[in-house]
Amino acid sequence: MMFSWWHRWRAARRNSKSQLEEELAFHVEQMVEANIAAGMTPEAAQRQARIDFGSVEGTRESTYRQRPGWLFETFCQDARYALRGFRRNPAFTATVIATLALGIGATTAVFSVVDPILFRPLPYPHADRLVSVGLTAPILPEEFMLGGSYYVWRDNQKPFEAFTSETGVSECDLTEHNPARISCARVEASFLPTLGIAPMMGRNFLPEEDRPNGPRAALISYGLWQARYGSDPTILNRLITIDGTPTRVVGVLPKSFEMPTLEQADIVVPQALDEAAERKESPDSVMYAFARLKPGISAAQASAALDPVFQYSLSLAPAAFRKEVHLRVRSLRDRQMQDVRLTAWVLLGAVLAVLLIACGNVASLMMARGASRERELAVRSALGASRGRLVRQTLTEALLLSFSGAALGWFLAELLLHFFVALAPAAIPFLDKARLDLRIAGFTILLACLCGAAFGILAAIQRPRPIALVARSTNSGGHAWLRRSMVIAQIAVSMILLSASTLLVRSFWNLHTQNLGIHTHAILTANIALGRQGYDTAQKQMQFFTQAEAALRRLPGVTAVAISDSLPPAGQHRESILNRMISPGRQESSNGTGGMVAWRWVTPQYFHALEIPMEEGQAFTEEQRTSAEHLLILSKLLASRLFPGKNPIGQQIRPGLEDSTYTVVGVAANVKNSGLTGDDEPEYYRLRRNTSEDWGPSSVLILEASLPAQSLAPWIRSEIAHIDPTVPVEIETMKERVSKLADGPRFEAALLGFFSFTGLAMAVVGLYGLTAYIAQRRTQEIGVRMALGADRGNILRLVAWEGVRLIAIGGAIGLAAALAATELLRSLLFEISPRDPAALLGSVLLLAFVALVATLLPARKAMRVDPGVALRCE
Amino acid sequence: MLLSTAEGKMPPSAESESNALLQGTLDLLILRTLALEPMHGWGVAQRIQQISGEVLQIGQGSLYPALHRLEYRGWIKAEWANSENNRRAKFYSLTAAGRKQLKVALKDWDRMANAIAQVLKPAERPA
Repeated sequence: MMFSWWHRWRAARRNSKSQLEEELAFHVEQMVEANIAAGMTPEAAQRQARIDFGSVEGTRESTYRQRPGWLFETFCQDARYALRGFRRNPAFTATVIATLALGIGATTAVFSVVDPILFRPLPYPHADRLVSVGLTAPILPEEFMLGGSYYVWRDNQKPFEAFTSETGVSECDLTEHNPARISCARVEASFLPTLGIAPMMGRNFLPEEDRPNGPRAALISYGLWQARYGSDPTILNRLITIDGTPTRVVGVLPKSFEMPTLEQADIVVPQALDEAAERKESPDSVMYAFARLKPGISAAQASAALDPVFQYSLSLAPAAFRKEVHLRVRSLRDRQMQDVRLTAWVLLGAVLAVLLIACGNVASLMMARGASRERELAVRSALGASRGRLVRQTLTEALLLSFSGAALGWFLAELLLHFFVALAPAAIPFLDKARLDLRIAGFTILLACLCGAAFGILAAIQRPRPIALVARSTNSGGHAWLRRSMVIAQIAVSMILLSASTLLVRSFWNLHTQNLGIHTHAILTANIALGRQGYDTAQKQMQFFTQAEAALRRLPGVTAVAISDSLPPAGQHRESILNRMISPGRQESSNGTGGMVAWRWVTPQYFHALEIPMEEGQAFTEEQRTSAEHLLILSKLLASRLFPGKNPIGQQIRPGLEDSTYTVVGVAANVKNSGLTGDDEPEYYRLRRNTSEDWGPSSVLILEASLPAQSLAPWIRSEIAHIDPTVPVEIETMKERVSKLADGPRFEAALLGFFSFTGLAMAVVGLYGLTAYIAQRRTQEIGVRMALGADRGNILRLVAWEGVRLIAIGGAIGLAAALAATELLRSLLFEISPRDPAALLGSVLLLAFVALVATLLPARKAMRVDPGVALRCE
Repeated sequence: MLLSTAEGKMPPSAESESNALLQGTLDLLILRTLALEPMHGWGVAQRIQQISGEVLQIGQGSLYPALHRLEYRGWIKAEWANSENNRRAKFYSLTAAGRKQLKVALKDWDRMANAIAQVLKPAERPA
């Protein structure tokens, strides 16, 4: 093969054009000689030979075409020709490349963000057969299993090849010479084999290591192995100390490993559950089950096949709750991405719409250029360039432009990605890990080819007419209808984008300005999670936090300090089940769970710092912190649920089966407590007294301060370091906390807003270009009309009418499509209907206004045409 | 030619022209002719015409593209030398690969011709 290529090239180099000429000339001479030999005169022989030979040029051309690399040669020729053309017309070239860079760059950036959500294969072999299995109930957002059910399911299930579980990821401490807080995942021994993952080094857990009091073993992540152990190849069998317990490293996980729940896991350890105890005990450990489907079985079939074991689990649940428990089997990707998939599609759709508008603009520009170059093309065609050759020339130009645009767009994409991450790092999974890698480069190249081909072919549809050779005018009717329909399409697409973005921006505004029920201004929060080694008892934990509280109170500018274990409006907090809350003043309800109730441990100043007003009764007082009584404050919503029409103050409540009895001392106003968009849960607050039973290892200190956060934060850190320098402190303002919760909506609104304005701008530029082009083409006609007595108003109407018609048609189509498309956004919208009339009307008016300006500008120019000049110019 | 391509004995032709059969036949004729002795283009055309009893006349429009195609394939090689009447001419001769190719093509041709003959025979009998 190598030889043959070499041979071809050597032969091709030898066969220069002049040699081919000589070869053919020799042939003609031989013919002449043969003719003379046959008895012709030399002149007649010459003549006859030429007639017999036919077209020398044709033969030469078709022989030359046999050369290897002939196509490449013509491509180079076309490219050189195209580059010369671009240099002659830099404004055109710059506009096209900038438009394409914007379109392709934005698409590349968005694609790199949504790729892991929509398309990236999960890092497990045959991941399409992996499913998440479990029960759904109001207590947890995701499907889960309980020990009592899990083992029965595992032993009796039919649809799965393998069935495994994990019990979640939690913080743990590496308590060696250089302590570090990391995250540990606890999994069953069959976990990695079920996912199809083998450790990169070492081995998986042995069955005996997954039993209570078995040998301690751990697998460490690739990242931890690199960062902490310097990729030490002798790490296997080393003992490391996790939370004070020596544990043997039995393996290193592959680099691509991730938990199916996408939680960060630096170390994976066996969950070592006591199977016999789990089967009996109630309430049970919460587990998350994953399974590999047998080949050819779908998730739905598996769900049906699990019905017998599901019925068994139902029989374990309290009768009142059964209606709220369901079985769920869904693919791993669904479990990971279900919530953000819509966002991802919306963003991708929006950016593709922008790209479409950009391509339309470029095609339109190419066509305008083609129309003004028609004579040149006609000349080339007359000189023997075939139609195919001309099309190839146009396509070469288009591809050159589109690849230049893509190259520039790549840099733009890099910038945009930085901007995305800065805007909303927590908006969607993997956003902060989005990179422009080879896979994305492939996508960009594909995009550039598609764009180039699309507008190249659109531009190549124009066939040069022979009339262009003789006509003095370069005006042609050339496919104005095509450009018109493209402008209509562009306006329609912008209309859709604009309506969608208006809705999302208004929805974000609603979210941003809603009443949270708490005061966020001048509130600082310090999150502290105590390590297990130094603070192994609740007593020590309480001591640390009360000490910290006292220290922070002394800081200048601090007017209140409170301690809680969680903070609204995020949805992470402790929960009780409404119908499990027992009170003598309340009738037992057998009507299901009644839903979940949020609750927190708080110190008295909590209500003061966050400015949550008391609706009835009293807030907790500092004196109550030393009382032996258990005290409680209800939210207004919970009070109305528990004691409708009664006075809740003084009521006795046992919030859970194992809880003490609490006395209600007050009713606080409602506070947003299920994230910014969730429906509020009823809520109650337990007073955190100065007894160890009320304390835990992690708490958040809430400071109301008159000093700015950046000057107070170092003081807070140093005060905490005074008490214990090894304790990590996470300081945030309340505003930052709330803003982080709005990352997703902010990201959607900002991106869609950006895309819709880019799209609108490009569509309007397209409209302007077309109107100006048409007006210019009709300069002569306008001159005649004016000479015949048309006034300027008539001319304005004549030219503007064209544009207005396009706007009206495009706008109407767009509005109809928008009405259908915005319905898809419903789940992304907060307190605004997808057909909100104000938002839609606003979009229509904005589009109409901008588009009208774009038609009136060239129309005014046409109106000013001097009839004398216009008539003379031909 | 068509048969052999379908069976994959030969690399598929670079240009997928519709008249693959005709082109293949021309290639075969040229290879066979050059197997006798090195010749220039004119000589090849004359020889084919002569041997075929003036039935096959090769137009220059297809002769030279074919010669160059075969040269680029490596089946024939070219050398400039003086012709019988002392003019510089390009002489083509078969390469080793060309000889092999000729053998294969001839076998294919025989098979093809036999096959066609087999199909045609029964039709002749009743007459």
